[in-house]
Amino acid sequence: MLKDNLTQALASLNLEKVAEGDYAKTGYHLEVAAQPAQMPDVAQAMLAAGCFLESFTAVDLRETFDLVYHFASFDELCRTAVHVPLGKKKGMPTISHIYPGADWYEREVFDLFGIHFFNHPNLKRLLLPEDADFHPLLKDFGASQGND
Amino acid sequence: MIELLGIEEKTYTLNLGPQHPSTHGVLRVVLEMDGEFIIKAEPVIGYGHRGHEHMAENRNYTQFLPNLARVDYLHALAYNQCYCMAVEKLLDLKVPERAEFIRVITCELNRITSHLLWFGAYLMDLGAFTPFLYCFDDREHVLDLLDRVTGSRLTYCYFRFGGVPTDIDDDFVAGCRAFVSRLRSRWDDYHNLVTKNVIFIHRTRDVGIITRDQCVKYGITGPNLRGSGIPYDIRKSEPYSAYPLFDFEIPIGSNGDIYDRYVVRLAEMEQSLRIIEQACNQLPDGPIMAEKVPKRIKPPVGEVYQAVETARGEFGMYIVSQGDVKPYRIKLRTPSFANMSFFPEMAQDNLVADLVANLGSIDVVIPEIDR
Amino acid sequence: METKTGEPLIHLGVLEEALNLARANSLWPLTFGLACCAIEMMAAGASRFDLDRFGAGVFRPSPRQCDLMIVAGTISIKMAPAVVRLYEQMPAPKWVMAMGNCAISGGPFYYPTQYAIVPGADLIIPVDVYVPGCPPRPEGLIEGILLLEEKITKRGRLRKFRDAKG
Repeated sequence: MLKDNLTQALASLNLEKVAEGDYAKTGYHLEVAAQPAQMPDVAQAMLAAGCFLESFTAVDLRETFDLVYHFASFDELCRTAVHVPLGKKKGMPTISHIYPGADWYEREVFDLFGIHFFNHPNLKRLLLPEDADFHPLLKDFGASQGND
Repeated sequence: MIELLGIEEKTYTLNLGPQHPSTHGVLRVVLEMDGEFIIKAEPVIGYGHRGHEHMAENRNYTQFLPNLARVDYLHALAYNQCYCMAVEKLLDLKVPERAEFIRVITCELNRITSHLLWFGAYLMDLGAFTPFLYCFDDREHVLDLLDRVTGSRLTYCYFRFGGVPTDIDDDFVAGCRAFVSRLRSRWDDYHNLVTKNVIFIHRTRDVGIITRDQCVKYGITGPNLRGSGIPYDIRKSEPYSAYPLFDFEIPIGSNGDIYDRYVVRLAEMEQSLRIIEQACNQLPDGPIMAEKVPKRIKPPVGEVYQAVETARGEFGMYIVSQGDVKPYRIKLRTPSFANMSFFPEMAQDNLVADLVANLGSIDVVIPEIDR
Repeated sequence: METKTGEPLIHLGVLEEALNLARANSLWPLTFGLACCAIEMMAAGASRFDLDRFGAGVFRPSPRQCDLMIVAGTISIKMAPAVVRLYEQMPAPKWVMAMGNCAISGGPFYYPTQYAIVPGADLIIPVDVYVPGCPPRPEGLIEGILLLEEKITKRGRLRKFRDAKG
């Protein structure tokens, strides 16, 4: 079972949390919490188990960031969500040398949130013009004045 | 000889786009070339960035519904479906069976229009103008059907949280059946015109091969993945809605080249016809909206990830709710973003003439990449 | 004949009317689909709606060979300089059609804290015809082309029949 293999592989990494997710409510089979420095090892373990990087994004929780990685597998249904808390003004190691697909995801997070990734081969803005000077998905960018 | 003449050899930078007939939207590719060979291809995206994820934080859940159709306008109903299912998961709403069937029928009809458009546009890129007219004709039949029940031709906003707002009638079901038999009678035309065409085979066989390792490393999904022989389709591996009730296959290729991806997409259209046929035959009676849909959509605190299989691959929505009427964060995991990130590696060390063939074969929609 | 570039130096009389008739009945659009409206533009040029019967079916990819730019889709801030450059590359006489709500005024993407789009093509280039819709039906696009023909020739194609629809 992929879930058991992953739980075993991740157990040796001394992570904060490796728990079973509530699939019916959240869509995850495995929920993992890791520290920023541990992320490359987590990614290596996921790649060794044959998982692909489904998605990567960040959430601005006002005091900190929460980086969320989703991994899934082509062979067996097992979705893993990895939450990495990151302080504001802190950087994050890249995983683009393990998953080349993460290259663009990390550029997008840099573009929209301003989070810096160490050792990224090409950390430029992806979606906004290169000379833009703001990060639009930060919560203090333009007050939420939607029509309600 | 060249050294004797004292000619200096340099690489040549060519800019493709953002306005170009073959880039399928506003995509710019900066090519560094050595003669006809591409040394480096760097896509520059963002020309279609409209800020969907920022809009999501400034809109309540219901107001964000029309946005989904504009993310990928070619298979808009699948995106609608994913969003509705994600919010229904957060709200713990059960969709009635008839509504699930209607969702599946309309979604599969939409998948067929998306693949037909890909077929026509891709062959136009390769230089064949006739298939474009054939498939747009077929497409119009489906658009008429969907227009009657949804009200739109392209950017559908037909699903609601808890079901669908308007019911389908017998005319629609008869129209679906008529379309199924019509399209089946057209396969011979398509195969004779394109699949057996010598120029097409030469341009697509053994070109643009994607390996399984690359699929895992880049997160490639959809017909691009299935063309390489991996039978991963979310409708089968993570079944949702009414799909478990239907009998259909997942076509896969063997080589991973453009020809295989083309064959997979055509075969997928046939499988969609099978699903529509079965759904029309088994359509149950009943309500089309869930019983207790709250007037104000205010999901409890939590997060959800929902994935669906669209014409391009896996579309996932990650919604973080903090108990407000507006989502706290919505992340749209679009298939074209992951598929396109593989493009630089795909284009490298190939001829520039194959570049357009490769780009079209991965079937990208630029607003989906840029969101 | 009017373009936004100003009054012509020489008035050619009846010849001008004939030239305008020729220009109106063979508009060559630029393939400039930015977003969703591009698909309806393609559908208008395809077999069912057939723009070619109005003479406007020859979509050219190069702006140097066109006289009509159909801005079909949302103009993002990153794309805006390219739009202006393409407009400037078109030789006069040239016309612009803003197709779809996004090109007219930003459409569904316009809201107070929008940071990414230009809310309307007429903020950066002069627009001659506006075709509303999200996306407009191909029949709407054809009506836009017919209105443009009217603008160019000062007379409508089959105007008395169209006006008599009541």
